[in-house]
Amino acid sequence: MERTEILNIMNMIMTKKGRSEITDESQSTREVNFRSLDFSETALRIEFKIGTELSFEAASMRKIETVKDVLDFFEEATKGV
Amino acid sequence: MYTTGQSIIVSGGSRGLGLHMVTQLLEAGNKVATFARSYTKEVGALSEKYGDSFYFAPLDAVDVNGVTAFVNAVCDKFDGQLDSVVNNAAIGQDQLLMHTDPETIQQIVNINIVGPTLLTRIAIKRMLLQGSGNICNISSICGSRGYAGLSVYAGSKGYLDAMMRALAREVGEAGIFVNCVAPGFFESEMSSVLRPEQLDTIKRRTPSGKLSNDENIFKVVDLVISGTTNMQGQVVFVDGGITS
Repeated sequence: MERTEILNIMNMIMTKKGRSEITDESQSTREVNFRSLDFSETALRIEFKIGTELSFEAASMRKIETVKDVLDFFEEATKGV
Repeated sequence: MYTTGQSIIVSGGSRGLGLHMVTQLLEAGNKVATFARSYTKEVGALSEKYGDSFYFAPLDAVDVNGVTAFVNAVCDKFDGQLDSVVNNAAIGQDQLLMHTDPETIQQIVNINIVGPTLLTRIAIKRMLLQGSGNICNISSICGSRGYAGLSVYAGSKGYLDAMMRALAREVGEAGIFVNCVAPGFFESEMSSVLRPEQLDTIKRRTPSGKLSNDENIFKVVDLVISGTTNMQGQVVFVDGGITS
């Protein structure tokens, strides 16, 4: 899935929760208040879109610190799906 | 009734407490779906009376694909909404562990643990996207107190309580409320294995002097799934005070 599409999903969730849209990939998820359940919701919305369940390894999720990490993570997870 | 206008799944709704809950929830204007291993004449009567507000599918609760397809079908039929899930389906036990055969142990684990876990897993995905929902597990006082002859059953109910507490922490922030209603011994098929003198002893030791019935338990479930409380991560005992 394209990064812009993933970012759109993230921003849709942010807006729904009354938070500012993410504009800078280098910002930390903590800084923009993108929380763990927001990550889960992003994953679910991507799953619904691509029609298959994503499989995550907890170890790779723990490394996520920035918005860029989230985008890289989902870009990689949806590769070839 | 506190719960009205919702789309609800009640597992194991073809007889007993499950059937009572399904019937009452339909009567109150909810859309209700249920599954069980087999179709009963009571299910047929509900289909006839409530039409599109009721959905039943024969289903093995541990069939991952079947459970997923069931939840998807319910959402399709009920305008994409899933407000509440009541994990009710369960089987009992009436044997000391040393005399319980491994197949029975596996069956209790499958139906009482794996089934509700799979259903809840699929349901909370839907609820997370909606931003709201209620999960109510029918557990038991056996999950918190020791009763001989019920070790595996008690373990399965204690699992529901423990899973519920962890899940409440996981998804509470998303507006999903997760709680357990824990009946004491109540008049049901499961307690029918007890001898009359055993039932008398239980009644004598119960402060209210009587066993709970389906309606007593349903009234609490109704409140728990109504979305009108801020109750989260709790086990509510409906046992006439026997655990007090």
